[in-house]
Amino acid sequence: MAVAGVNVSVEAVLENQIQEVSLDGQEIYVPPLSMSENLTKQAHKIDFYRDETEEKGKPASEGEQDSGEKTLTPFQPSLWPWDSVRNKLKAAFTEVSVLLDVLNIVKEKHYMVLDQVSQGSQDSMESRAESRPGVHMLSKKRSLLSAANILMAGSERLRRSQSQAESTIKSQSDFHIELLKLRQNWRLRKVGSAILGDLSYKSAGSRFLQSGTFEVVKCSGENSIEQEGSAPRMLEVVIPSELEGVAYIQVEVKPVPDAMDLTSAILKMPAGLGQVPTDAYWQQKLEVAQNVLFCKELFAQLAREAVHAKTSSPHLVVGNQIITNVFPGIQLSIVLCHSTGKDKKGGSGPHKLEHNHVLEHSLHQLLREVHYKAINHPPPHPVIGTLGVSKRRRMAGPSGMSRSELQQMMESESLLEQIIKQTRHEVLRLRTMKVLDRLSARLSDPLVACHWSCLNSSLQSVVKVMISSYGYEYRMMSQSFILMIGVGSIKAITKEGRTFCLSFEGQDLEDLVMWQLSQHHTIVAQTLGKMMGWHLLSHSGNCGVGDMETVGTASSIMLAPPGHNRVLSVKSGPSRGMKVCVKSLQKEGLPSLSAVTDPKWKVVGGDFQDIDLDKIDGRNVAAKLELLMATLSKAEPH
Amino acid sequence: MALNFMDVFYRAYLGEPPNDALSKSMANSVVTQAIQGGIAPYQEYLLQGSIVDTSRDVLLHRLQGLCDNAEGMPQKFQDHEMVFMMRGNTPQQIISFRVRHSLHQRQNWVLRYTGQTEIGDKNRQTLVRTCCDVATSDNVVQFLNEMGFRLDNEFIAKGFFFHKGRMRVTVSKIYKILQHDNLDNLEQLTMSHLVELSVVAPVGQEQIGEDMKAFAEQLKPLVQLDKIDHRRLQTF
Amino acid sequence: MNYGPNYSHLHNLDNTYREFVQFDVFAYPVPEGKSGQQVVDSLQRQVELLGAVKSGNFSVDCETYQSNLQNDMIFLTFSPQRLVHILHNTEQPATCFSILDTGTCLMADVMFEIFMNKLTHSKSAFYQQRKGFKIESKGQRYELGDFFIKIGSVSLMSNFKGILVEVEYCPCVILNDCWNLLKEFMQSFMGNIVEAPPPYLKNKADTPYAPSDTVHQYLEHFNNFRKTVPIGQPSR
Repeated sequence: MAVAGVNVSVEAVLENQIQEVSLDGQEIYVPPLSMSENLTKQAHKIDFYRDETEEKGKPASEGEQDSGEKTLTPFQPSLWPWDSVRNKLKAAFTEVSVLLDVLNIVKEKHYMVLDQVSQGSQDSMESRAESRPGVHMLSKKRSLLSAANILMAGSERLRRSQSQAESTIKSQSDFHIELLKLRQNWRLRKVGSAILGDLSYKSAGSRFLQSGTFEVVKCSGENSIEQEGSAPRMLEVVIPSELEGVAYIQVEVKPVPDAMDLTSAILKMPAGLGQVPTDAYWQQKLEVAQNVLFCKELFAQLAREAVHAKTSSPHLVVGNQIITNVFPGIQLSIVLCHSTGKDKKGGSGPHKLEHNHVLEHSLHQLLREVHYKAINHPPPHPVIGTLGVSKRRRMAGPSGMSRSELQQMMESESLLEQIIKQTRHEVLRLRTMKVLDRLSARLSDPLVACHWSCLNSSLQSVVKVMISSYGYEYRMMSQSFILMIGVGSIKAITKEGRTFCLSFEGQDLEDLVMWQLSQHHTIVAQTLGKMMGWHLLSHSGNCGVGDMETVGTASSIMLAPPGHNRVLSVKSGPSRGMKVCVKSLQKEGLPSLSAVTDPKWKVVGGDFQDIDLDKIDGRNVAAKLELLMATLSKAEPH
Repeated sequence: MALNFMDVFYRAYLGEPPNDALSKSMANSVVTQAIQGGIAPYQEYLLQGSIVDTSRDVLLHRLQGLCDNAEGMPQKFQDHEMVFMMRGNTPQQIISFRVRHSLHQRQNWVLRYTGQTEIGDKNRQTLVRTCCDVATSDNVVQFLNEMGFRLDNEFIAKGFFFHKGRMRVTVSKIYKILQHDNLDNLEQLTMSHLVELSVVAPVGQEQIGEDMKAFAEQLKPLVQLDKIDHRRLQTF
Repeated sequence: MNYGPNYSHLHNLDNTYREFVQFDVFAYPVPEGKSGQQVVDSLQRQVELLGAVKSGNFSVDCETYQSNLQNDMIFLTFSPQRLVHILHNTEQPATCFSILDTGTCLMADVMFEIFMNKLTHSKSAFYQQRKGFKIESKGQRYELGDFFIKIGSVSLMSNFKGILVEVEYCPCVILNDCWNLLKEFMQSFMGNIVEAPPPYLKNKADTPYAPSDTVHQYLEHFNNFRKTVPIGQPSR
């Protein structure tokens, strides 16, 4: 075979075709074709049918079929070399003519109308197929079968996906369904490819600057939080770091510590209290974050007010705490507790839970009210009136409102002022309660009973104090007075309509009650006397004689029995207690003068004798007095 | 909320009592400036449209959803408007004041002056006109008559009021007063309600128009709020 | 302190002080206003001796507009010229009082002046401002228990014209119920010049007092002061 390195030249053989090789090895060549012969040969190669059919756009198969028939003939011996060409051309011409005729016939529609091919015709393939019902049925059956297959495949796929969804609905809950749920409760908007939400109170009227934007992210399959017991979710919310954790406002009312340490004012957060589980449902997460924002706004507002307030005793704002004095010795502290849950301080000690729920609640309420007022304006009447001003303010011009009224109208109380007022009231109410409770527990002779009004506001409450003697509640009017507890003082209205203004000190109230108690005794004597037909000689609510009382004044009463033969004197003071004296008729009193007409004047003069009430039977003063008076009115003087 | 001119005024006026001469002059300057400039310090931005009575409730629901005072029932109003004119010797000499009286709060009367409405070009989203509203005492009709004004026309508008921020939305029906003295004998003018979106703001706050347009877009399928050229309407 | 509608009585000292002052000005070459100031000072001393405390300044000013006679068409119904007085009182800082010469008093927001401006500055000037008619009374305001005392010196175009003393007794709104008290109080520092209630209040003595009554009284006195200057005399 060929050795490497040997060059092989490939070139066209220039010799003529070998016709015959003789036995001696000589090759006899075919003589080369003459020009005319060559032309004939080339002309034979032309396929006229092909060109023709291509031009007319007829199906190629038909042309080939025809040409197949024709190609059988070309090697017939012919008389002259162009014969086959001529035949072909002629045949082509015939075809074209026929075609033209057909076209003319079809087009002119004079001679022939093309119609649907009848059943019996055997010309075309289709008609042949149709003519055989077996084939027809078969084809229909096949197409029906394929359609059925498609439907079956579809239903199978649906069933499969449904069963898949059923089995894995919890693990594969749809992101979009979650998003839909989220949208029902929270404001969302799309920025670029991210979905942002807003949990701030801006749409509810807040003007707090801090934004409450959170981001909604889709958890992909692998990082969706998988957990036993609860289902992994496809949707997760990303809350800004400053709103993470738990916050609340803590209000405390407490006595001022002796040495206030400002460093301790910064409240230590109880660990473990403020923990949101990281796997919490988004709704819970958002609510907690919203609460954080609310508390922050509330505290920021209060701190701002505390700093700007012009008061005699400045408010103290230290870290997350506002301290202010409500009364001497009593301070109010408002603390913003915000734990992010990240810094876990173990030793923060046990958490005090002595905070004031009521004030915390009203703080929340106050801020909500501010929000509400920010977007809810009273409707103007007529409707073109200025928007956002009160009805009264709108009438300021036409009604000629004076300067002081306008000034009053413009004054608005800050949240801090309002909460301080509420605190004062609450402290005062508690103090009053304590004083009254202590007194009613301590005193048994006249009984002290308090009726607190069930309807009170955050700045005013009313209590009615009843003083009565046991066993005599219905037979005689009991002494009573009303205490109206306001913000910084208590107003007391006694039964006879006198008004006293008491300070916030509990001692004032105690003095008042003690004084009223002492008055009660003389009133009991008066009432008993009236019931027994005694005559009232004198009654003084503020007796000027006798020993001085440390607090208040004593009251005294002098009564005479129906026979006017004695005089009973009762003096009762808040600190000195009660003194009862009786004066007997002195027969040899004054000499009878013509000027003295009424025998009662003969009683004037004489000595009073003390009566020791302790020796008289009776469970209380009223009973003792009753017994005494009964004896005195019966007994004949000696 | 827009800077309230009256607020500024009262505050300045009421300042420190012992030495309020300065603040008073400061406050006065706002009014005098406006007067000397010959313009009201306020402009009204206005878009109008109408809705047939049968679709009114749908619009009210939509507005309740969009507006600030969403809680509770839509706030109703019923106003009586009287247009007073003073005419001079020539047709150009004419001035008109409007008196609007609330029939819900009968002590409230407002005297209103509105300037020529500016349509503006396509860049301007709303109608703009100078506007001045002043609350007055109840004898304003008598006062105007004695000044030389004559009642030109009057009507009653009953409807609903909404607000979104400082945007005011009214959906109202206009009634003709058949008897001059009897405000209960009314006849409705059309079978539809007038919808107006307006803001009254100090001069030169053009961006309001954008806010209003955005709001109007949200009412789109229900009502088409647009700049209505009143002068063209009059030619019909 | 919340005061109800105030009762106020305004007493003009014109019979004595005003004439005395004018006489002083014209007869003696004393610097203008000084003697008026002296009277004011002595009155203030009197009031302070009674124990009154200063509570800021006050002022009442008045401008007058008249109907334009060229537009007499509209005033065919009125025989004389129509006058509109616009008054402000610092005691009612939110209010603008407009009093017609018919006696009608319209109380409106302070912005009402814009409406007067529209009537004077528009193409058809229906009204025009009277030149040299701006008059005001300003001075010190005192409080003494339930009484307010205002001692004001009146100036017409910065010319001193006289003194007006206003005394207000807050707890009462019916003049007849407190006139004697007021009279006694005023006599304690002004002497016997106070004998009868001012004429304007005589037929209103039994009706509740309103802020417009104070302004009406001021206007009456202002008109009296103005009459002392012949109309048309060029003002300085």
